[in-house]
Amino acid sequence: MTISPHEAGAMLADIDSVVARVRQSNIYRMASRILMMWGGLVICGNLIATVAPRWAGWGWSLVDAIGAALTIFMVVRSRAPGIGFPLRLLAAFGLFFAFGGMWGVIIAHFEPRQLAAFWPTYFLLFYALAGLWFGIAFTLIGVGLSALVVMGFLWAGDGFPLYLAFVNGGGLILCGYWMRRT
Amino acid sequence: METPDEIIHQPVRLRVMAALTALPDDAEGLEFSRLKNLTGATDGNLGAHLDHLARANYVEATKAFVGRRPRTTVKATPSGRAAFARHVAFLKSIIAGG
Repeated sequence: MTISPHEAGAMLADIDSVVARVRQSNIYRMASRILMMWGGLVICGNLIATVAPRWAGWGWSLVDAIGAALTIFMVVRSRAPGIGFPLRLLAAFGLFFAFGGMWGVIIAHFEPRQLAAFWPTYFLLFYALAGLWFGIAFTLIGVGLSALVVMGFLWAGDGFPLYLAFVNGGGLILCGYWMRRT
Repeated sequence: METPDEIIHQPVRLRVMAALTALPDDAEGLEFSRLKNLTGATDGNLGAHLDHLARANYVEATKAFVGRRPRTTVKATPSGRAAFARHVAFLKSIIAGG
């Protein structure tokens, strides 16, 4: 069998391309599970805010803690043996909530309705940014769902938490399903 | 000196082995449908190439049911991983010598 350097180079490029697609596919699959999990939690959080607005703060704290713990658990479970605890992911959640809390509560003193719009769009911003490195699907999800949240903020009236339960929570689940199939 | 692997050399089989060896050793493998998307092969074509690789003991397929739907998962064997690594080394040696 004779293979020219040009053919060998093309085959190696083909291999690199497939390996890159496998890695991206794995990232999408992991992200899709996380998205669907957060979608379910967002529905719960918004239903609590709809049914018992007084408990919305506590409800969201619980939802966020469960979501962060489950996300870390899912990432840990998917890692190869011998790779340590994902401290950077834990730090990322810490920074996310610290900066969000700093702006939402300390600096801007957002009202509940504004907070309800701030947290999902702030969360989705990272999806939109992640898409610049990990695949366009992340950006489409981040920008698309943020636009729907803003539309609800402007026009959904008192039903905004319920709107968010269906549009944001349901949207995350649908986007996760779509990402899984991408 | 490295030599080409006649089985892996074929383009679809090369892509199959590249995809399967991109996973960690202990991963459960790739589903047939994912492998089809990644390699751009048709069902029948991919099936034939997987049979070829399985006969050489480069891959192993596991069939299971998820609900009522059959699911075939394909995984590279240790000898398949070694053969692929040798083939890649051979391709690199051509470029280095070329």
